[in-house]
Amino acid sequence: MTFLHPLLLAGLALAAIPALLHLLERQHPPEAEFPALRYLSEAERQSARRVRLRHLLLLVLRTALLVLVVLAAARPLVPLRVKSVGGGHEPTALAVVLDNSPSSGVIMDGRPLFERLRATARGSIAAAGTNDHLWLVMADGVVRKGTRQSLLGILDSTRVQSERLELGAVVARAIRVVDADPLPAHEVHVVSDLQRTAFGSTRVTRTPRVRVLILAPLARPPANRGIGVVKVADGVATVPMVGTAGTPPGAVTVRVGPQVIARGLGAPGTAVTAPLPQLGDGWWVGEAALDPDELRGDDRRLFAWHDAPAARVRVTGDPGPFVTAALGVLREGKRVNDAGRSPEISIGDRMGAGPSAVGGGTILIPPGDRAMLGETNRALALRGSAWRFAGPATPGLIQGRSELSLLDSVPVRLRYRLERAAGPSGAAAPDSMVLATVNGEPWLVRDSSTVILASRLDTGWTALPTAPAFVPFLDQLINHVGRGEAAISSAEGPVHIEFRTRGSDTLGATVYGPDPRESDLEPATPGQVEETLGALPLDERRFLADRFTGSRRADASGWLLGLALALAIVEFGVATVLR
Amino acid sequence: MPASRLDLLDPSEVARLGGIEIIAQEVVEGFLTGLHRSPFRGFSVEFTEHRAYQPGDELRYLDWKILARADRLFIKQFEEETNLRAMILLDASRSMAWSGSPLRITKRAYADRLVAALALILLRQRDATGLVTFDEVVRQVIPARVKSGQWTRIVRGLLDTPDGRGTAADVALQQVTSLVSRRGLVVLVSDLLFDRDLALTALRYLRHRGHQIIVLHIMDPAEVELAGPPEVRFRDSESNASVVVRPRELAGAYAQTVAREVAAWRTACRRHGIVYHTVRTDLPFGLALRLLA
Repeated sequence: MTFLHPLLLAGLALAAIPALLHLLERQHPPEAEFPALRYLSEAERQSARRVRLRHLLLLVLRTALLVLVVLAAARPLVPLRVKSVGGGHEPTALAVVLDNSPSSGVIMDGRPLFERLRATARGSIAAAGTNDHLWLVMADGVVRKGTRQSLLGILDSTRVQSERLELGAVVARAIRVVDADPLPAHEVHVVSDLQRTAFGSTRVTRTPRVRVLILAPLARPPANRGIGVVKVADGVATVPMVGTAGTPPGAVTVRVGPQVIARGLGAPGTAVTAPLPQLGDGWWVGEAALDPDELRGDDRRLFAWHDAPAARVRVTGDPGPFVTAALGVLREGKRVNDAGRSPEISIGDRMGAGPSAVGGGTILIPPGDRAMLGETNRALALRGSAWRFAGPATPGLIQGRSELSLLDSVPVRLRYRLERAAGPSGAAAPDSMVLATVNGEPWLVRDSSTVILASRLDTGWTALPTAPAFVPFLDQLINHVGRGEAAISSAEGPVHIEFRTRGSDTLGATVYGPDPRESDLEPATPGQVEETLGALPLDERRFLADRFTGSRRADASGWLLGLALALAIVEFGVATVLR
Repeated sequence: MPASRLDLLDPSEVARLGGIEIIAQEVVEGFLTGLHRSPFRGFSVEFTEHRAYQPGDELRYLDWKILARADRLFIKQFEEETNLRAMILLDASRSMAWSGSPLRITKRAYADRLVAALALILLRQRDATGLVTFDEVVRQVIPARVKSGQWTRIVRGLLDTPDGRGTAADVALQQVTSLVSRRGLVVLVSDLLFDRDLALTALRYLRHRGHQIIVLHIMDPAEVELAGPPEVRFRDSESNASVVVRPRELAGAYAQTVAREVAAWRTACRRHGIVYHTVRTDLPFGLALRLLA
């Protein structure tokens, strides 16, 4: 049993009043002369037992009466055995997880699925009492705490968002939040389409204190197809088709501006390719679109690419045989040009001319002779670089940033530790960044126009020269990294493109769109749901009926007041009739 | 007119009208207005009725004819003609000086006036009347006389007897038995708040000596029906004992106890040929005197 106003239980001290009054009254009664004391003593002797019983009965009745009134004022909540019986519930910490990821925007039975999910979530919050603690968690992962009214207001203004919902992680977070709350009951209501791809690797740890109610899919979702992240390479745009497996192909249109450059049919798991027109040097934007279906959010996606002439490269010092050979391959493929009189990129183990002089960048490979490190570091310092070579460091595997992920797991045997230089030159340029690491230490860094490698590109130092990724890496290094460009990346968000610029130069772009996994509307099986979230999904009727049932309580104050009234009547009878 | 008869008015109102002498005279005047013959029966030559024989009765008044015919013992009673020797025994113990309400007179005050009136009636009939007052000991002894000024002496004896302390009536009654030598009427006026058995022993002795005995049990109404604040400590001024009671709770049991006590007195007195009456202090004096008629 719990109480809505537990502080009022302090009033139980009032139960001592009858006993105290009894004692106080007995200690100081008025005194009077009465000569017929022998009759009185005799009468008292004969009725002493009855009077004592009556006193005891009155004391018990009055104490019980006060206890009942105080308990009733504290509003006790007692468990209800019958679920269908109405009534309140004991104070509950409730977190409602509402799935407003892109997949919830699907139209089912002529109505957005999200509206039905939102109505169910709204019902859970509206059923909460004033003493409950409430949280609302949606696809953005933000745990919002609020009152019933404030959360209902948030719900009413919520729309389908572009972020994907990692259901396991969000539910686990919701469980942790309510479990930490001191209220006696804890529930998490999961209102989602239970999309199979929303179940990531996170498994919810079962907590006995927290009841997790999961709404089962309201209906079988329609087959869906969508457009994945478009990749542009070698003048061709590859448009991957995503969605529910087995969905028939749909018509895909690829446009650049108003011009349709390709049409094709694509089913989930396949791709449509579109040769890009030669539009000249610069950044270009295209669009791939599907005919509208029930889920509109994944029917359109933008893509960007950069057309630029091959970089003019000059070798400085000794870059090693593998770099020399790779440059030859790139030159044949017209990916690099000879520098001539105006080199754009210099690559080697010597610092070239400053960028201010030639307007290009430097890719610095450490010298093979360790004795040359000092001279190299001085040259870096003169160039204003914040980085310098230190002593040898431990071998390990390369971990590259997303645009250099082709370097991942390539072994490095020898390397110098790259460290920030002390003194005025230690201040990094605004675009200074670590592009790849080995054992968590910088292996490839860029500082302004200088790109520094920690290992020579030689098989004695690293396995990279013999890896298939070597020539593409060098191409990326020369034509993009060395030029100071950032890669074209993709991110979740409303469909649009954001360009990154420095001055009047465009350095990179981020293409936003829904996560391709959102297109697969296939729901998870009950087994998958239970394995990940620790509870089986419930159909809508059960879900609505089971809300707060673990903590459903009836307010017993009315019963207690009725009992108190009955006791008062009995007390009146004992006090007046049974004399 | 009934309104002018003090014997029928409330005793507390009557007591405010004057001293014992005046009140007694007025009460007796009113009382005798309604009577034409002496209310007291004694031993006379004029036969009036029979009554059952009681141990101690003189055999010479036994009706031998009835004994011979029915083999039952009856005593012949006669209309008073000759002087009656009456001795009034007044309990002046501390318990008598108590009233349950300031609106009522004390039991002692009531008894004083009743005794004075009774004595006046007896003396007017030319009956020798005396008075003994007692508490733990005998306080006043006025031998039974019929001469003039006897009533004044009796009244003076009442006034000169202060409120006593305890009540050891049995001791006092035994002393009284030695003071009442000639047979006659003995009237005991008391609240009887003493040991019943010991008191009855003395009364039985008097009865055995041939006295006619009347016991007037004086009771304040508050002694009959218990009342008071919700809780009170009642103290007996004689014994200084006290008890804490809730009058409302104990009223029923107390009333039953008083009724039992009165019944016990009545039964014991009847058994020994003693006349017993309870007299509440709110009873008009005339009605109290009528109990004796």
